[in-house]
Amino acid sequence: MKTNNIKGTGEAINRVDGRLKVTGQATYAGEFSVKNKVYAQGVNSTIAKGKITSIDVTEALAQPGVIEVITYQNALKLKGHEKDLPAIDNTTPMAVLQSPDVHYYGEYVALVVAETIEQAQYACRLVKIEYAKEEALTDFAAAKSTAIKPAAPEDYFRGDVEKGLAEADETLEVTYVTPIEHHHPMELHTAIATWMGDEVEIYASQQMIDNSVKTIANTFDIPEKNIRVISPFIGGGFGSKLQTHRHVTLAVMAAKMTGRPVHVTVTRTQMFTNTTMRQRNEQKMRLGATKDGKLTALAHETLSHTSTYEQYQEPCGTVSKMLYATPNNEVKHRLMPLNLQTPFAMRAPGEAPGSFALESAMDEMAWKLGMDPIEFRIKNDTQTDPSNGKPFSSRLLNECLRIGADKMGWENRPKTPRSRREGSWLVGYGVSAASRASPYQESAAKVILRAKGGEVHATVQTDATDIGTGTYSILAQTAAEYLQIPIERITVELGDSRFPVTPGSGGSWGAASFSMGVKVACDNVLKELKEKVGMSEDAQANVAQLLLDNNLATFEATGTATPDEGRAGYSVFSFGANFTEVWVNEHTGMFRIKRMVNVSSAGKILNPKTAYGQILGGLTMGAGMVIAEQTKVEPNFGNFITRSFADYHVPVNLDMANVEVIFLPEEDKIANAMGIKGVGELGITGVASAIANAIFNATGKRFRDLPITPEKMVMAEVEAGVV
Amino acid sequence: MRPFTYVAAGTPKEALKAAANSSASHYLGGGTNLLDLMKEDVERPEQIVEVADLDLAQVKKNKGGGYTIGATLSNSATANHPDVRNNYPLLSMTILAAATVQIRNMATNGGNLLQRTRCPYFYETSMPCNKREPGSGCGALNGSNAGHAIFGWSESCVATNPSDMSIALAALDASVRVQAPDGSSRLIPFNDFHRLPGDQPEKDTTLRPHELVLAIELPAPIYKDHYYYLKIRERSSYAFALISVAAGLEIKNDRITKVGLALGGVAHKPWKLTSAEEFLVGKAPTEENFTQAATLALKDAKTLEHNKYKVPMSEKAIARALAQAYARKA
Repeated sequence: MKTNNIKGTGEAINRVDGRLKVTGQATYAGEFSVKNKVYAQGVNSTIAKGKITSIDVTEALAQPGVIEVITYQNALKLKGHEKDLPAIDNTTPMAVLQSPDVHYYGEYVALVVAETIEQAQYACRLVKIEYAKEEALTDFAAAKSTAIKPAAPEDYFRGDVEKGLAEADETLEVTYVTPIEHHHPMELHTAIATWMGDEVEIYASQQMIDNSVKTIANTFDIPEKNIRVISPFIGGGFGSKLQTHRHVTLAVMAAKMTGRPVHVTVTRTQMFTNTTMRQRNEQKMRLGATKDGKLTALAHETLSHTSTYEQYQEPCGTVSKMLYATPNNEVKHRLMPLNLQTPFAMRAPGEAPGSFALESAMDEMAWKLGMDPIEFRIKNDTQTDPSNGKPFSSRLLNECLRIGADKMGWENRPKTPRSRREGSWLVGYGVSAASRASPYQESAAKVILRAKGGEVHATVQTDATDIGTGTYSILAQTAAEYLQIPIERITVELGDSRFPVTPGSGGSWGAASFSMGVKVACDNVLKELKEKVGMSEDAQANVAQLLLDNNLATFEATGTATPDEGRAGYSVFSFGANFTEVWVNEHTGMFRIKRMVNVSSAGKILNPKTAYGQILGGLTMGAGMVIAEQTKVEPNFGNFITRSFADYHVPVNLDMANVEVIFLPEEDKIANAMGIKGVGELGITGVASAIANAIFNATGKRFRDLPITPEKMVMAEVEAGVV
Repeated sequence: MRPFTYVAAGTPKEALKAAANSSASHYLGGGTNLLDLMKEDVERPEQIVEVADLDLAQVKKNKGGGYTIGATLSNSATANHPDVRNNYPLLSMTILAAATVQIRNMATNGGNLLQRTRCPYFYETSMPCNKREPGSGCGALNGSNAGHAIFGWSESCVATNPSDMSIALAALDASVRVQAPDGSSRLIPFNDFHRLPGDQPEKDTTLRPHELVLAIELPAPIYKDHYYYLKIRERSSYAFALISVAAGLEIKNDRITKVGLALGGVAHKPWKLTSAEEFLVGKAPTEENFTQAATLALKDAKTLEHNKYKVPMSEKAIARALAQAYARKA
């Protein structure tokens, strides 16, 4: 029955939405034409802490085209937080303009609504706000005494770390620092809100449609059924579009207050202050190991910051609970409330900075022990998750390390630091392990079959989103495979809250959850069609043929995939290994990543082409962590001194290496029936340490504070013990 | 947006006449800096006089053997012009290290000379900056000053000039031809074109009100064999220099006969390294001499809280740029 042009899962097809994108026909949230639309622009606070004492909107309101200026004095009353410093999630209410209090520099303090965006932007500068400034706390070092135990995660203890350290032949105690980083998807955050009676329709760039509906319902205290959120195409998210940020609240509020559809776009500078960030982390690592390379103790203590009004703790230490076998393990997180915005999940929250600390510490310990860092990792491998005693559904980390080593020519690496030169360049190799949980969540879809001129076409609908990841393609492939209908006859429709509910894009669960939802809907449509035509459930049949044979014009079914109970007995993770060759110029301190080899064990790969794109993006973002990405806090004013792409440097093409990505052939049927695991966040995990470890190997300089800038390179000393 | 009047000038005379009509008039070349600054509300011109179409987009050989490079020629066209590539390869190399192809295609030579500092305090209108708003104070002096000056700064301003091209022009001892509204023209030696901040950091250059840049004038072709532009930055392209060095050497019988050396990213103007140049003339082109010259060049550096790295980085960069210049055709 399988024809050549089905193009099912596992095939490296081009994106099915590629033509729409390159021809400008893919409509992003801010591009929808809405009749009678007006524009609004947020005004940001210019103090880090204090109270608004006066607001003068006279001049702003008098400008041509200006319709309304909204401040806390006239804003709609919204539901605020019920307690101090609540732990936030993807549906936490996003109240805004509710009080004169200012919590951080750049917080929204007003919104100007005008006929054109230029009029709104100009009038923003004419809103005169005076403040009673209070002393703000934005200095990480000065705030350490304020650290609290976060609501989550709990402190974790296994065995006795002190005892394990005492028994060790070698110990290590080092602290790694990662700076504030920003997601900065290419597409700016945006929302267009239109009220129609009691119902509101919102075009918004959001990763999670259903959570977006819930947030708006929570914020405005209105029924979810009155809210429609539409987000068919999204130009990158990286976690910044998980939550429904306050610009969406502002659009919905302003549309209500003015009676006109309102379009709010967050500017690139506002993307630093109003659409969340990854906070700075200080991670203290303590390791103990025997001479022959067995870990006797591993302690991972993270110090992060949150805002003064909400709490978010990045679980940096999670990786240290599960990656290596050690009898003695301790993982703690502490949180300082600062006058900065609330941070939230950014690509591989926990793992991205956490693996930098763990995998750098592993490299340091291997160097101390005089062991090959790969052998050191393999020696401490475990097929059982030490944090919960459950077996891993599959764990091919050793295979990833060995295959990568082979591809990389690891045997020919410089065995001692600072021992290989190419002209002015010092050459080094680095390795790291990667792991990332592969969650799988309940997810629904609808399949509609239509007969058309002797052919059967299928439309798949779910509220899942494609944030550039390839969701359209893999769902078309899934439907083609399970319906046995060629992919050209499959249409996928995403990102509308009127479609069946999925968990949305985030946490690397998208591919597994959405695909399983579509598979179940495809299975159901065949099952229900057989029932309808009186065919036995076991009979062999092709859904398209069945529709045609019975002269049905259309038939549809929905399906919901849920994790089965068998999965609960296992720990389900994707694994990988990163290898880099880095050349450091000894005169300039600049470095080039010459090669990167990534080996990933991520279950069934639905589309090797889009999965490669995912890993490549992760590797690039991981390289960004090392090369230059950092948001700096101004010491006297408490604002971000990095406020555009001219200051916040992401990697350019020339920075990136010759990249090779290898997916191990694998289908993890414990994870789910299709054997899919997560791939999106695995790609960034461990990358920073693989590069930093290579820089150590090249230069003998150990950098524990990212990014590794030319400034740090020129000031750093070669480590003691390196020739 | 703030309203402004727009005049498209067809000749320098028209441009000068239009500019003289307004006290807050700006000439517009490629717009790669001015338009950004207007969007940020940093520059607030009442009048824009577009000069991009003036007939000044040529490279011409002068009677004295030097060349005149027109103000409205784009950075890309300048860097790729055969006469520039053949006669002033240091200038080509330097321009090509700047910004991106897209920006170089838009940016004009005249505009490049007048681009303003990238100091974040200058850009952020809610913060103090004497350059943007005289008398408001310098936020960077005791603030985030990792990217700021180590030479020639004052209490009122520690900003640096961001231009790459200007570093080469300083090394090459170029001059700038300008014209005043009364039609008179004058030639400003490059080292006098940009100024130090003193207590008037709002003034980047020594241009008088409404003067229009017509051209860059270069001395007879030089450093054709031994030249290098070394730029240290936070990523491999599309970033301003932390430190940059333009180095040119003339060598005869294994002796240095002439040196052009300037440092970027360290001062309110391109920082000509005169004492290092003088030290090297007559000496052998050795690593040791290059290192000594570099040390000499940084002797009077005065660092701020966060930019101490610029001294060792500059020393390494100068020695390296000289060595690279020497090795280029040695």
